[in-house]
Amino acid sequence: MSKKKYYVKRKKTCKFTAEGIEYIDYKDIDLIRQYVPVSGKILPRRVSGTNPIYQRKLTRAIKRARMMALLPFLGD
Amino acid sequence: MPLYEVGVILNAQLEDQDRAAFLGELKELLAREKATIVKEDVWGKRVLAYEIKHQREGYYVFWQYEAPGSAVKQLETKLKLSDQVLRFLHLNLDRETQRAKKMARVRAEQKAAKKAHKAKAEAAAAATAAVEGA
Repeated sequence: MSKKKYYVKRKKTCKFTAEGIEYIDYKDIDLIRQYVPVSGKILPRRVSGTNPIYQRKLTRAIKRARMMALLPFLGD
Repeated sequence: MPLYEVGVILNAQLEDQDRAAFLGELKELLAREKATIVKEDVWGKRVLAYEIKHQREGYYVFWQYEAPGSAVKQLETKLKLSDQVLRFLHLNLDRETQRAKKMARVRAEQKAAKKAHKAKAEAAAAATAAVEGA
């Protein structure tokens, strides 16, 4: 007997690919915050569905934002 | 000349006139190094995500400017030596977008090549089908 599925799998999409962004600005904190949970860690690709190219750019932007004290290195 | 962006966090406890004087000095230095400021973005006081030099607040200023590389070196030296600066970050914006543009171009080329290849294969398949049919 197969187990019943309790959830519908949603297709994850990459926001950056959809919008064709060239450069992720570290100053755009509202955008970057979406990819940094309260823990302060960078959301993995497997969770956010971000394209690998943009994940690297995003990572760089997040790290820059951390250097400029816009984001914490360690969250709560 | 490349487009640079510099973000500076100044000590928020600085008096307004001192801060203005310091920023004026920086601008003067840039002007001397033949730099033109394209965009100025002053965020003002902001709570830092963590303490830097026992400061909880910082005064954020961002500049985008076109200048030869020597100007960047001069500016960085000044920022490093100043004790009013909590932190700063220099970026070459041209390099940031150049890569993206190059990659976009390469990908477009690859896509075009793939499409051409596919079209060629389809044409060949159609040709063989026609031969077999006849």
